[in-house]
Amino acid sequence: MVAFEPKVVCFSCNFGWGFLCDKDDLSKSIKYWIPEICSGKIDSRHIFQAFRAGADGVLILGCPEGHCHYQDGNYQTMKKVYLMQKVMKAFGIEPERLSMNMSRDPEGKNIPSLIQEMKERLIKLGPIKKM
Amino acid sequence: MPKKPKVAIYWLGACAGCDESIVDLNEAILPLTEVIDIVLWPIAIDFKYEEIRSMQDREIALCILSGSVRNSDHQEMAELLRKKSQTVLAFGSCACFGGSPGLANFTTKEDIFNWVYRDAPTVVNPNGSYPQTKTDIDSKILTLPEFFENVFTLDEFIDVDYYLPGCPPPPDLISNAINSVLSGDLPPKGSALTPRKAICDTCPRNKNKPTHMDIKKYIRIHTVDADPDTCFLAQGIICLGPATRTGCGESCIRVNVPCRGCFGPVPSVVGSGPKFLSTLTSLLLVEKDEDIEDAIDSIDDPAGYLYRFTQPYSILGKRSHKIDMED
Repeated sequence: MVAFEPKVVCFSCNFGWGFLCDKDDLSKSIKYWIPEICSGKIDSRHIFQAFRAGADGVLILGCPEGHCHYQDGNYQTMKKVYLMQKVMKAFGIEPERLSMNMSRDPEGKNIPSLIQEMKERLIKLGPIKKM
Repeated sequence: MPKKPKVAIYWLGACAGCDESIVDLNEAILPLTEVIDIVLWPIAIDFKYEEIRSMQDREIALCILSGSVRNSDHQEMAELLRKKSQTVLAFGSCACFGGSPGLANFTTKEDIFNWVYRDAPTVVNPNGSYPQTKTDIDSKILTLPEFFENVFTLDEFIDVDYYLPGCPPPPDLISNAINSVLSGDLPPKGSALTPRKAICDTCPRNKNKPTHMDIKKYIRIHTVDADPDTCFLAQGIICLGPATRTGCGESCIRVNVPCRGCFGPVPSVVGSGPKFLSTLTSLLLVEKDEDIEDAIDSIDDPAGYLYRFTQPYSILGKRSHKIDMED
């Protein structure tokens, strides 16, 4: 039997995460990485569509509180993530599959390890149910 | 005398509210019957399905189909009418998006059967009988349609030409739709025959809407005495107008009831649920992070509320093929 390898889609804010790194280089080690201009720009539709397309988990990397370049994008996303988790539960998708990390990492060195941590949590949950 | 175009009106998994809305055309229906022949309309006139089966393919000019598809009988009739019709109009929110019966997709067929035939307090079923598609009684086989695992939209099973959403669609849009099909003055195939704007654009309360809304928590309409002129959202009452298509004549809002989203998403939006979700959270102003959960928890049953009419059509729903957005 082939071991379960979870697919994690990572959306990250350009102003807090990996803006000093060579993106081409870093993206080689991160399979589904989507840098966005602000975590507030990540549409809830895109997150749901990631699950629909077969993602086992979605990780959002936003700036720390009070550090949003656009005033409050990260705060808006934080509220949205909580409501999305409640909606996902009703659809039979475990809320833990959507996670948000509010921190800062200009070099982007921590991104692969954060994804790895998420994958370990997802292995315990198993693959996402078929939609 | 030239032959009049034939029109069939049929219900699948529907409540008959859509047919009622056609009846609400009142006297306008009389001149219509001068120019069309109604060949099927179970709620109003008695016709036999055999007559439809014996028709030639594409003999019916327009078929108005309301209701979602939940069992094999719905599927069979939808496929038969598709074959016999030139144009199929998905009529009402159930046919277009699954409608409120689509909320059943939040549970399973097994749970529904257990509740209806075993656990509900009014059920008396000592033998534990459940409906079967085939039952042998004295060597006679009785059959029932098969109850599907999920509720589906009409276009999951047949090719739909036009959509007219609404719960139910208002009479003015119905007569427009029928007239445009008969005159051939139609938008591209796959369009919804309603205006393209959002409810907020046409809402009579829009002029009283504050530029900034800082909602502390959401309240439900029945718990307050809502002001009849102020924007519902500004009062903290959930209204789904910002991402719902207009055309309904704001009939709910005019009687002081917020929009529930029956007209479905505006063009260029795939599934209205995520848009409602973003709207409601971004309008919420919470001072401290630890209060976010409490503020959002003030929305009772968010999935049921945000997907009230569109669960089977939604991104996370059971839809088998891709959701196309109308451009």
